[in-house]
Amino acid sequence: MHSLIRPNAWVALKLPSGSTKVLQITSNTTISLGKYGAFPSNLVIGRPYHLTFELLDKLPDESFSRLRVVTSDELHADVFAEEGASDCATPAAGANDTVISTTDGEEFSLVDEKGNVIARSNHEVLDENARQTLTQEEIEELKREGNNAGKDVIAKLLLSHTALDQKTSFSLAKYKLLKTKKYIRRFQVLPFDVANLAHWQLEERDSSKILDLRAEMIGLVGCWGNVHFGGDDVLLPDPKAPTDAGDEACLPVDEDLLQGRWLVVDDTCGLLVAAMAERMGVLYDGEGPETEKAEEQNVTATGPTPAASEKPQETRAHELIVPETTQKDSDTEMADGPGNSLKQQNDGKQKHQKTRPSDFAIPYSQSNTITVIHSASQPNLSLLNYWGFDITSPNHPPHPLLNHLLNLTWLQLLKPELDTSYSTPPLTASPETLASWKPSRRGNFHRKRRRYARIRHVVDNTRTGNFSGLVCASTMDPISILRHTLPLLAGGAPVAIYSPSVESLAALADCFSVPRRTAWVSGSVPETDGLSNDELERWEGNERFPLNPTLLQGVSIQTSRARRWQVLPGRTHPLMTERGGADGFVFTAWRAKPAEGKVAAKGKFKRRKVGSEAEVVTPTPA
Amino acid sequence: MPKVLHVHRNAQDPHKTRLSTLITPIMTPTTRNISPFLDPGPRTKANSLAILQLSRDNLLPVYLQSPTGNHDGYAEGAVVNTRYGSFPHSTMLNVPWGSQIRASKVDTGSRGRKRKREGADDACRDATAASEKDNEDSPAATNEESAAVKKAVADSSGFIHVLPPTPELWTTSLPHRTQVVYTPDYSYILHRIRARPGSVLIEAGAGSGSFTHASVRAVYNGCPAEGRRKGKVFSFEFHEQRYHKMKEELSGHGMDGLVHLTHRDVYNGGFLVDGNSPEADAVFLDLPAPWEALPHLSRRRPQPPFDAKAAASENDQAEWVSPLNPKKTVYICTFSPCIEQVTKTVSAMRRLGWVDIDMVEIANRKLHTSRERVGLNLNFDRGVNNSARDVDEAIARLTDIENRFREHAAKPRDGDEDMDSADEGDEPPTPARGIPTNVEAPPAAAAEEPSGTTTTPPWLEGRLITRGEPEIKTHTSYLVFAVLPMEWTEADEAAAAARYPLGKEQRVIGAIDKVARKQERREQLQKVQGSGNRKARRKERDEKMGQVAAA
Repeated sequence: MHSLIRPNAWVALKLPSGSTKVLQITSNTTISLGKYGAFPSNLVIGRPYHLTFELLDKLPDESFSRLRVVTSDELHADVFAEEGASDCATPAAGANDTVISTTDGEEFSLVDEKGNVIARSNHEVLDENARQTLTQEEIEELKREGNNAGKDVIAKLLLSHTALDQKTSFSLAKYKLLKTKKYIRRFQVLPFDVANLAHWQLEERDSSKILDLRAEMIGLVGCWGNVHFGGDDVLLPDPKAPTDAGDEACLPVDEDLLQGRWLVVDDTCGLLVAAMAERMGVLYDGEGPETEKAEEQNVTATGPTPAASEKPQETRAHELIVPETTQKDSDTEMADGPGNSLKQQNDGKQKHQKTRPSDFAIPYSQSNTITVIHSASQPNLSLLNYWGFDITSPNHPPHPLLNHLLNLTWLQLLKPELDTSYSTPPLTASPETLASWKPSRRGNFHRKRRRYARIRHVVDNTRTGNFSGLVCASTMDPISILRHTLPLLAGGAPVAIYSPSVESLAALADCFSVPRRTAWVSGSVPETDGLSNDELERWEGNERFPLNPTLLQGVSIQTSRARRWQVLPGRTHPLMTERGGADGFVFTAWRAKPAEGKVAAKGKFKRRKVGSEAEVVTPTPA
Repeated sequence: MPKVLHVHRNAQDPHKTRLSTLITPIMTPTTRNISPFLDPGPRTKANSLAILQLSRDNLLPVYLQSPTGNHDGYAEGAVVNTRYGSFPHSTMLNVPWGSQIRASKVDTGSRGRKRKREGADDACRDATAASEKDNEDSPAATNEESAAVKKAVADSSGFIHVLPPTPELWTTSLPHRTQVVYTPDYSYILHRIRARPGSVLIEAGAGSGSFTHASVRAVYNGCPAEGRRKGKVFSFEFHEQRYHKMKEELSGHGMDGLVHLTHRDVYNGGFLVDGNSPEADAVFLDLPAPWEALPHLSRRRPQPPFDAKAAASENDQAEWVSPLNPKKTVYICTFSPCIEQVTKTVSAMRRLGWVDIDMVEIANRKLHTSRERVGLNLNFDRGVNNSARDVDEAIARLTDIENRFREHAAKPRDGDEDMDSADEGDEPPTPARGIPTNVEAPPAAAAEEPSGTTTTPPWLEGRLITRGEPEIKTHTSYLVFAVLPMEWTEADEAAAAARYPLGKEQRVIGAIDKVARKQERREQLQKVQGSGNRKARRKERDEKMGQVAAA
């Protein structure tokens, strides 16, 4: 994946100013980059990612700019020139640009075309009146003429600066960089993966929407949550339930098949889910070489007609993931479930109708899944739209997330009997009555039954527990989240909770503090007397012990920050400014299975009296 | 490859039979031979790695062994001895991961002595064993030395937890051979170099193997469908002893099929495996001189001055094979502790066509939470700061001292039995008595305190604070990231241009001005009205269907 730019792919265009423009590249459109110019999208589709393109001057008879691939040598020309200059102590004539060197010493470093010294590194103070002699109009004029991808403008600007000869080489380099950023007409196409989306959302869009989740934190949460590919897909067999079969026909949840499932609480609009899906290999549609092969075949087999070039996109997608396409078809299409009287109406969908499963077939894999628990009736996973997944769409084209992303509300998890869609028994109808109905009614009937079976499956599946990990980035109180999710975790399962600020995590870590745990173990909680371990796991907590403090091991909080550096010959240093705001913290721990009964730690016993209650204080392993 | 389990089920009686009983032949936990790092299963297994958590940061990797009689002098089979007690492996086998394990009463004392006096008589041994406090177990141990394994007896105190191995736990517990790439670094690196299920990674400088384990987890994708690539790590190690150690470790961890470890000096030998290209999607170089290895990681035979090394490995002018995936952008990260290494690496990268070069260093901090207990009336526990909690408390104490001082000052005069002074002594207390009432007036400080000590448990006292750990890692290494785009030739460009011809542009996207956007919106609305919206279309179709059905 992400080898060539495909039509209709979301991409990030990186502009010289450092900003990113995110758009869906549709074929046969013109992409406008504002002041940098416009070009036809067909000039980048089918080309590799990460190339740097330069907008060429418009040809006299064309209304758009053509593109040129800028070689890496050209991109680094300035640095090469500097390196060369410092090596041989003479201004090396790199490219056709004027060379700017910032090497130390008194030697001249900038020469114009005639070889006159323009800039030197000396101690002269810049004239206060130093300024650009070109007027704004003249600059605009130059830009309109727009020759040589903006390089002419930059060169003219440099040459018409009155105090250029007084600038030190360092300030000159800075000046040139500034003007280059403003005028050079280059851009780079980046694939829109999780890292790039997160960066864009953080730096240019609303960072609060993703709870200021920085790349370091995404990495940490993913690793400490041990999120990885959780096993090959296991799909349940179709129960082939007839339409008059009710609840009893639903497939039971089989614990032994469940494997590699992660529990998520995500208030980052789906960024966390996307990051996890990427780590589990279920985010990108059509990953793998088939895609490339299909594309190659397409190039050779079909002609260069754009219509033909778009077709394989769809067919390929259908071939890849067959099982779930049939599940999520639109309600109207499902209208003709058993009696296929109207099959001929839509020829394109015939393929699916042949293999249509019954209403109670479960589209979800039993392994390698993400289970999202959300507080609203629908999860907010809007960022997944960038990868072609929309959880609200009833009629979804194939996508790997469809059978690997399960979602349920807190109500469905904790009090399913109060949830209407879970507790209302499914509709039933005999095939005869069904046949007598209007197609729309039949469609509704099937849709409701399918929804019922799915919700039933997701809720039962989640309540079974034994999750491989809990990953969380939420605005909710982590203590309340853990109270209800800890019992669902398998022994040894990691917990990784992200929070933009440390306070809530500190309060959580305090629930597992050594003194609290010691007090718990020594039996200072009268309510828990006589409870079995199972009951203790699901204990609701009280004011003094919000959580059972023995359920987590290795509780720790950490924060990470990447400091960026500029690496240039003779000018290597950390960047002067960086994004501030929320630091971001990660709470990590492992789910423990406490031993039955009282367990004392090894060590010297020391007794002390606190008020009336006597306590055993021991040097417990923290 | 999605496995669909085909089971013939009776529709009348579907939920009576457990699915797993029907489909066990396809996958049972025992037939799965997956690394415990990738799928540890629900319980601990024999001959598999487990991480014992002795205390918070004290982890011990152990291969659990099923007890087969006397082991190393222990009647219980293999035993782990720690400062938290002795733990026979038998107590840790086939328990759920994460279980708390109680220490067992193990005869550790007589074992050593027994060995020293090999061949000595039993009586002597019994005597030494009897001196042990758990002497009632010892005779049993000595009697059935080669017979059945002794059942472990739980000790009164001491415990540990047994955790499933993960790269994070392994990184903190592994035997150090070289500087280790820690979790804050590798988590960020793997995210940045896009190591995903199905990726192929080159890692040079396997070192202690922490990065290897983490990257195996990242690229692992099970048994991929036909035609899809299997995620794999190609690891290179120069040091022979480290290579053998690593090899041993990897097979012990069930990662043989996922890591291809090669013993080679990559500066001269390059990255090809058996002459074939690994077709790597991402590269991680933890080498002292990454710039020496970089020329091998090119798309084409490198140009002078980089060609010397590359040519030396490829014996002649024959075909030059690139170890990189020719169909993708390749991501790289180099890991160097010194800035000079970075300068050289970056310089070489620029010459070799890498772009988007970015250098960062990761600063990671661990935070400890604790309760900061400050107050005069708190007990004298460790960690309690017995100074005034606030100004009120300070004043209360000062007035108290002041009062006592006055009382004390008054006393000697009482001793004089002088009537005058006794009268005088009565007089000053009047204002002095007034002060204590003043102090008691703000009850928050004084009145609550005594009751607070009785009701508030010690773990809820004081203010919750976070602070950094006593020693922090201020510098691990500099990380240099870069990408190498796919090679794009004139021919490729011509093919792409033919496939996506120009001249049919209908719309403008991206940064467009207001007027253009409005115009576009207007056209779009018109179009929608013309064709009718989705609902209307559906209605139309339903009507048609109804007609057909009626007919």
